[in-house]
Amino acid sequence: MEGTAGVCSWKQCDPSDTQEYPHYRRLMTREVRAAIAGAREGGARHVLVNDSHWSMHNLLFDELPDDDELRVISGAPKPWSMMEGLDSECAAAFFTGYHAKAGDAATLAHTYSEAIYRVTVNETACSEALLNAALAGSHGVPVVLITGDRAIVEETARALPWAVGVAVKDAIGFSAVNSMTPHSAREAIHAGAREAMARIPRARPFTFAPPFELTIETAGVEQADFIELMPGFVRVGSRAVRFNADEYRPLHAAFIAATRIAAAAAPIA
Amino acid sequence: MEGIAGVCAWEQVDARTPHPEYAIYRRYYTQEVNSAIAGARAGGASDVLVNDSHGPMRNLELEEMPHDVRIIFGNRKPSSMVQDADAGFDGAFFVGYHGAAGDADAVLCHTYTPSVIYEVCINDVRCSEATLNAALLGHYRVPLLLVTGDRTTVAGVQAQMPWVRGVIVKDSIGTFASASMTPAASCRATRREAEAAVRGAGEAKLFRFDPPIVLDVQLVTAAQAQLVATIPGFERTGSRSVQFTHADYATVFKAFIATWRLGATVPS
Repeated sequence: MEGTAGVCSWKQCDPSDTQEYPHYRRLMTREVRAAIAGAREGGARHVLVNDSHWSMHNLLFDELPDDDELRVISGAPKPWSMMEGLDSECAAAFFTGYHAKAGDAATLAHTYSEAIYRVTVNETACSEALLNAALAGSHGVPVVLITGDRAIVEETARALPWAVGVAVKDAIGFSAVNSMTPHSAREAIHAGAREAMARIPRARPFTFAPPFELTIETAGVEQADFIELMPGFVRVGSRAVRFNADEYRPLHAAFIAATRIAAAAAPIA
Repeated sequence: MEGIAGVCAWEQVDARTPHPEYAIYRRYYTQEVNSAIAGARAGGASDVLVNDSHGPMRNLELEEMPHDVRIIFGNRKPSSMVQDADAGFDGAFFVGYHGAAGDADAVLCHTYTPSVIYEVCINDVRCSEATLNAALLGHYRVPLLLVTGDRTTVAGVQAQMPWVRGVIVKDSIGTFASASMTPAASCRATRREAEAAVRGAGEAKLFRFDPPIVLDVQLVTAAQAQLVATIPGFERTGSRSVQFTHADYATVFKAFIATWRLGATVPS
């Protein structure tokens, strides 16, 4: 959602906000609708949408197409979080409304939660897009569309050169943007999605090379304290933990579990 | 703290709100701990380490404590109530313990987190906090010597560890009432049994689980089990249950702490 045209503040993305969020969830839904329309025109038969922001029930059904072949995953937590429902039956995946990784000079940049300072897999710094692309890749599914701000779109397109990127805005620091209008963004996403469908034959699943090593640097010591409790995690610094696996999916699952237990480490009385 | 003489209600042990009752009962708690220390000393203990293990784990009134002990104070310790189990001590006391989640006639019974943990079994043995904690001590070759609390709790520990001396400070009447010794009487009994426990430490045994160690946890809700099942190595064994198996008990113990910490994040 943070990568939706016009979005530049947490209030716009926070489901508890009653002033701005109701408007921006509508804009988010309309961008998703534009991507669906492009996919359909590009030949997609079945479309599965996974609402993947915050509490993960943002999409407004009255703004989605009336379509018997569309299914929508809503709610949280889900075992595979933003990638729930994806399996080897899928021909391709789209990432819409994505944001840059924690530490990037970009709009609302973060990686899953503000408890995470940096994530690397096999020494590659990872955004949510890259981690999720690798999970799709573990099922043999390529990511062919990424939309969001220029920072995440360009970084992802470098890692996934077969993907279509639609940069709907440029970041001006963390909480300001120079954006397309929502209308123009939808047109660009619609066209980009259509083009992305045409690229599927040339697209490749994104994978890291096994064996896999995940390093999570946390914002504070307290989050690393909690993550270290989980089997398989090794403390490698006061604010760093590591997890090794021969397969990517267990590593990704461990990452999701780590983000969740880290979130529980918020300061307490 | 729930197993201190007279305690029968959450507000008496609620350090976070806190209720005026808490100020009274933390004093009784400190006095029972001090009685156990005095007994240990009389029995010949040299180094004494006290681990405050209730709620936010900073309940003891430090100025009321003997000056020749060390005190572990504060929260989120990796080994929680048995932090520094590996520090080479010759024996351990559990003072003011309570029954396991689901125990009948055990005042304020629960297992770590009442809203998350329904039941814990290891190698098919139903576990209270005392069981889980004694097993970590046993893992590091430290025997449990003394348990104090209500009758159900003490009997539960002694059924699993018959060498442990017990002080039954009260009988529980359901979950929120007790027929108790006075605090002064419970302190005398605790001091006496603590001394005997240290004198008899040579006969104590280690409580350990044999590997492979199979941890079965039943959560209160299916949503908690779904989330906890994502911990690396965990398996969902039922709509509200998970299982984890490992050869090393210290790893199992940490994984159990991760279980309730993660389970507690599920919005209810």
